[in-house]
Amino acid sequence: MELFFMTLTTGIMVGGIYALIALGWVLIYKCSGALNLAMGELTLIGAYISLSFYSMGVPFILSLALSLVIGFILGILTERIFLDRLIGEPVLTVIMVTVGLSFFFKGIVELIWSTDTKVFDPPVFSLEPVRFGPIIVGQIYLWSFLAAMVLLVIFVCFFKYTRWGLAMQATADDEMAALSIGISARFVYAAAWAIAFMAAGVGGTLLGNINGLNISVGYLGLLVLPAVVLGGLNSVPGAIVGGIAIGVMQNFCGAYLDQYFPGGVKEIAPFAFMAVFLLFKPHGLWGWERIERV
Amino acid sequence: MSTTFLPCGVYHENYKQDHAWWQTKFIKSKMFLLFITLFFIIPWISDSYSLSICNQIGYTILGALGVQLLIGFCGQVTLGHAAFLAVGAYVSTLLVLEFPWPAVFVELGLAYPLSIFIAAIAAGLWCVLFGLPSARVKGFYLILTTMAAQFITVDFIITQYISQIGGRGQAFSLPPGTIKVGPWVIDSDVKVYYMMIVLTIICVVGVVNLLRSRVGRAWVAIRDNDISAEVMGINIIKYKLLAFFVAGFIGGIAGAVWISNLAAISPEHFPWFWSLWLVGVILIGGVGSIHGTIFGSIFMVVVMEALQMAVIPLADTYPKLLMDFLFIKEAAFGLAICGFLIFEPNGLAYRWWQIKNYFNLWPFSY
Repeated sequence: MELFFMTLTTGIMVGGIYALIALGWVLIYKCSGALNLAMGELTLIGAYISLSFYSMGVPFILSLALSLVIGFILGILTERIFLDRLIGEPVLTVIMVTVGLSFFFKGIVELIWSTDTKVFDPPVFSLEPVRFGPIIVGQIYLWSFLAAMVLLVIFVCFFKYTRWGLAMQATADDEMAALSIGISARFVYAAAWAIAFMAAGVGGTLLGNINGLNISVGYLGLLVLPAVVLGGLNSVPGAIVGGIAIGVMQNFCGAYLDQYFPGGVKEIAPFAFMAVFLLFKPHGLWGWERIERV
Repeated sequence: MSTTFLPCGVYHENYKQDHAWWQTKFIKSKMFLLFITLFFIIPWISDSYSLSICNQIGYTILGALGVQLLIGFCGQVTLGHAAFLAVGAYVSTLLVLEFPWPAVFVELGLAYPLSIFIAAIAAGLWCVLFGLPSARVKGFYLILTTMAAQFITVDFIITQYISQIGGRGQAFSLPPGTIKVGPWVIDSDVKVYYMMIVLTIICVVGVVNLLRSRVGRAWVAIRDNDISAEVMGINIIKYKLLAFFVAGFIGGIAGAVWISNLAAISPEHFPWFWSLWLVGVILIGGVGSIHGTIFGSIFMVVVMEALQMAVIPLADTYPKLLMDFLFIKEAAFGLAICGFLIFEPNGLAYRWWQIKNYFNLWPFSY
């Protein structure tokens, strides 16, 4: 039973990070309709940037903030250079451009930072575990979860109460109406990419703190796909619930199924689950159900 | 864009001429020259390095053909085709190495050709299994399902279970002499080249003919508008699954043929990168065109080799460059996909079509 609760807590904590990255994905989809397969690489870029600053001696919080700034700039640049020309093109074209982008980013990241595993040195969070009664949680997990939650709240408040956020909501709801009341759609698209870069960067930094940073963190970024499918592609609460659910499921599979299916069941389970889930409820839990015949 | 205009002054007098594969004497002699080049001139003038590039091109064509069929002609996007290549390769390897063939089969060299066929069918059925969701979902959701196919097949089933058969560890080694087609032992690049070229031609001709038939027209109808296709009486699910089967079948052939070129086979030969690479090949070559598949394969393989050639002289001054070549290749590939999609979405095949029509319609191009 202790194992059960420990796995549950770890799952929720890791899931919080996935939720943060998934939020960025959903934003891009909601605002511009682009299905982004480069999310894994966005997490990598942000994580490596903050790692570089941290290993130069910059305090962790400051290096995280710097990676947010650079992520913002990179996001706007990416949108302006690549995605801006594709407005109105078929879905497949946009998806494949993001695939191309993912290769491009990955190649650049490997070129600059090489493929060896790097760790945050000295460790940012102390290794001493925290005890809640019988449940033991690593401090890294706890702080990552808290940071992810704080950022989630900030992002959600941003959408609900600021002018920019409201502009983004309006564009997501009805682009034509938003244009007619003077909202610049191009600005909104750029802002969505910038926020996705920032969210992914923070998520990547936190994931990198847990297990060290290498290219496979990009694979963890791909886990947002099962998460957003579970929650529904265009639902922000869905992304949060989906991210946490995927984190929990992954850890349960690692804890309980690994003895029956040795090897990588933990990595594969979200994707296998996604394939089956798509068969029965392709629009996710809270996604818009477009009625269409296939 | 698929219609090519006939040269000035050529008219058909009956339906047989209209349906003919090669409609003018000029095209016939062109094809004859191509045949001579492929079967005699290339093996004669090239050394083993350029032959190995040719083999790579052949493998890419075979792999991309199935992707082209699914994406370009049936509209079902797949991002996990390397999984089906892997199924073909592994089934064929297992059959050659582990299956107790009767002695006659081995002596006559039938084991490997038969295993290619069985592997192709197995890969086709495996592809249908992951194509089943296409009955309910389309577009982005189908992309995710095929991605799941890649991770489940290669990273889980093959890496964790299939690779353990016989206790060899990660890789199956293929001792020289195991791969035998009829009386020939496939042990040199030239022999692989001949086998590859024959199979590539068979597959390309087969697919082109299939596309000229009722099946092909049904696929194109589904791609263009699935609702009106159904209204016209096409059983959408049946034809979609058929497309998945044929694509997996060709992928299985590609995988099974490729093992003759390898000393050992391991899951690293079929990464997710390779699935995306195949999609990139048809995007660069041109979606919805068999020419595009071939041009894209040649372009990608040759350009990447040329890039490597360009890097080697620089290696003396920048030794790090050689080590990082793989990453440069990845970044260049990504940039190429983006560039082609943004600036030339019809791909190389469109340029080829323009050139051909320019000469066909000359001097009265209006």
